[in-house]
Amino acid sequence: MRTYILKRLLLVVPTLLGVATIVFLIMRVIPGDVALLILGGDDGGQIDAQQLAAVRQQLGLDQPLIVQFGTWLWGVLQFDFGKSLWTGAPVLDELLIRLPLSLQLALMATLVSVIISIPLGMLAAVRQDTWVDYVIRVISIGGLAIPGFWVGILCILFLVIVFGWGPPLEYHPPWVDPWANLSMMVWPVVTVGYRYSAVTTRMTRSTVLEVLREDYIRTAWAKGLAQRVIVIRHALKNSMLPVITLIGTEFAFLIGGLVVTETVFTLNGIGRFVVDAVAHRDYPVVQALVFLIAFSFVIVNLLVDLTYAWFDPRIRYR
Amino acid sequence: MATGIRRGRAVLTIVTLAVLASALTLPGTSAAAETPRKGGVLLAAIGADPPSLDPHQESTFANVQLVAPLYSTLLQFDPLDSSKIIGDAGTSWKTSPDGLTVTVKVRQDIKFHDGTPLTSADVKASYDKIVFPPKGTKSIRKAHYEVVKAIEAPDPATVVFRLKHPSAAFVSNLASPWNVIFPKKYLDKDPNHFKANVVGSGPFKFKDYTRGATFEGERNPDYFIKDRPYLDGYKFYISPETAVRAAAVRSGRAHIEFRGLPTSEVEAITRQLGNKVVVQEAPTPGWWAVSFNHKVKPFDDVRVRKALTLAIDRYTMSKVLFPLTGLKGVGGLVRPGSEWAMSPAELEKLPGFGRDMEKNRAEAKKLLAEAGFPNGMKFVLANRNVKLPYQDFAVFVIQEWKRIGVEATNRPLETAAWFDTGRVTRNFETIVDPHVDFMDEPDLTLVDFVSSSPLTNWSQVADPELDDLYERQGRTLDPAERKKLVNQFERIVFEKAYFAQGLWWVRSIVHSARVKNWKAAPSHYSNQKLQDVWLAED
Repeated sequence: MRTYILKRLLLVVPTLLGVATIVFLIMRVIPGDVALLILGGDDGGQIDAQQLAAVRQQLGLDQPLIVQFGTWLWGVLQFDFGKSLWTGAPVLDELLIRLPLSLQLALMATLVSVIISIPLGMLAAVRQDTWVDYVIRVISIGGLAIPGFWVGILCILFLVIVFGWGPPLEYHPPWVDPWANLSMMVWPVVTVGYRYSAVTTRMTRSTVLEVLREDYIRTAWAKGLAQRVIVIRHALKNSMLPVITLIGTEFAFLIGGLVVTETVFTLNGIGRFVVDAVAHRDYPVVQALVFLIAFSFVIVNLLVDLTYAWFDPRIRYR
Repeated sequence: MATGIRRGRAVLTIVTLAVLASALTLPGTSAAAETPRKGGVLLAAIGADPPSLDPHQESTFANVQLVAPLYSTLLQFDPLDSSKIIGDAGTSWKTSPDGLTVTVKVRQDIKFHDGTPLTSADVKASYDKIVFPPKGTKSIRKAHYEVVKAIEAPDPATVVFRLKHPSAAFVSNLASPWNVIFPKKYLDKDPNHFKANVVGSGPFKFKDYTRGATFEGERNPDYFIKDRPYLDGYKFYISPETAVRAAAVRSGRAHIEFRGLPTSEVEAITRQLGNKVVVQEAPTPGWWAVSFNHKVKPFDDVRVRKALTLAIDRYTMSKVLFPLTGLKGVGGLVRPGSEWAMSPAELEKLPGFGRDMEKNRAEAKKLLAEAGFPNGMKFVLANRNVKLPYQDFAVFVIQEWKRIGVEATNRPLETAAWFDTGRVTRNFETIVDPHVDFMDEPDLTLVDFVSSSPLTNWSQVADPELDDLYERQGRTLDPAERKKLVNQFERIVFEKAYFAQGLWWVRSIVHSARVKNWKAAPSHYSNQKLQDVWLAED
């Protein structure tokens, strides 16, 4: 097992290098110039050609691509992700401002989703083709079909129009002001958690249904075991592998993928940061964030694989 | 005779009442009648945060709105009447008879937030940084000060600007909200110090900044104007989504959004909150237009360009787009209604501004036929992928062109690619090309059509007559004479259809009725110092 984990961790290095190279090249190929954006401002304004060249030089954009890539990679090896071309601040500092919020949102949404989706998915499977199943299906298909940002905007408008109250605009970490934190985070968590739980409910329902048709479940029924024991002890655990994979992938996605939700709820998270950085052609920031997101995916996938062994003792890693 | 006097008195009374009534509806003046209240923190929502905190090196409203309250400028636009220039750190200014020297007297009772006094040496150092930027720094508006030969500080209370030639725009440029005064001692050590630090002498002191989230200032107790500011502080919430900023004003989480919200949002807020909010409309020195690439056929043909501009019904466009986008004003190359603008009657004589659209469209079709396109033509309109107002504007223009048989395809480009296309690669046929300034100044708008300014001249217009007129109007100190030259410049641009003007922006700012003594300036860059603003009781 230890060798397996070590091997997987070593594989992270070429994966991240590959991702970094691809992102570096893509960012340089797409049109756009951070120097022009910095000098141009809102609408363009007057730009001096000499100054444009000077800014490019200042940002190191006049260097050959291979030199730029080498410099960046050397920095990364020393855990120095460079400075943002847009703000001049160290990328790591900018990242650390936003990471706690994104992690909190991802964790809370995952928790909400797991708490809601697994019992609902199970119930829908056990009560297949009854009104309970239909209601759960309508709710979960609704969650899949309705875009998250739309739910978010509706949520805000409902609160503002009906109660004349809107969610706070400033993030307070939970250890500083738990109430302010909760009153801000509860809405995006509900919005994201709804979509997330819809996916997981559907998956849980399908996998539980599949397992309930297995021979050993029929044997359990024949033995006269109670329904509760059959479903929870025998069916649920065996149907969880795909659900866990899904939860893991969704969790990694939530760290950097909640662009619209973060925008709608004024959350200063990683998703918004990625999009802003791409829009500004802020190469070091984009590269660092893609690094982080790729790293999250790799680690979460590793954890998911390790969880398999706990759920299914027949699985062995070498 | 007596009747005449009585009628005269009656007219005078009516006029006086009308003036009083109109004065009472103006936010600034009505607030002035109330007793200002001290205390409270002004909460504002803003759509972005800036790359850095140094206004000399930035050009986004997100910079100047956040930091303007922290600094003094030499001169400023009057917060209650933006057409007037008044002093800030400067008390008086004088231009020499030959127009080559501008002398400004500097107040001697101003202290920076670190306790050191502000003198003319700080003014000189700040302006040197703008006009002659040291290596490793940039100066966004350096081009506005090309006329400056040298800056001198002969004594602590005097700063002298020596000019290469007379400049009509120079004194106005000294009131630029971007030209904040930094303490010299920090600039001497590092000219980029203020990209990440703030040491100003404004009504508020820097308190806190969390990038992407909030920016805060607190009252400066040593501000040089006694009893100012009224507010204890101000705080900006950075929220990129327009609907969310509108909801913030609606729910009271923010008192104001200074840049302006779409009219539809303003109406919804007003409907819900009634007299708890105040709406101010500010005609802004900024337009949205279409530039033609003169280096690409057939846009080098004046007949094609003229046909395309004739086809656009700007008066209907104003009615349709204003509620959606804030685009409203029909005007030339200077803001309609400003001192440099030609009258509507004069404007209507120019191609594309006539009100008879049947006639305009018939002429447009004839011109296209003459140019070899009797069955219309097809091309691409490059655009920025921002809905308001870019996409809505393009949709309207494309519909108008369809009426003369022209099929244009709207191609939305992401901001960086759009800038690159307009300015560097020039890989476009036509492109949506906006222009927004901080004041009504012909130097700033006409430069878009001058051959020596390739990065702002997206259409690549090269007309020696325009180049000459641009130089002449900029050096003409007599406003009436200058206006003639400016209007002549406009006529040439529109007669030769060098570009297709769209509409001028009118900002709609909705804010809590608690916010007093703030008057929306035409530009969203101006009047952001907040020294006279106060908050009424809830």
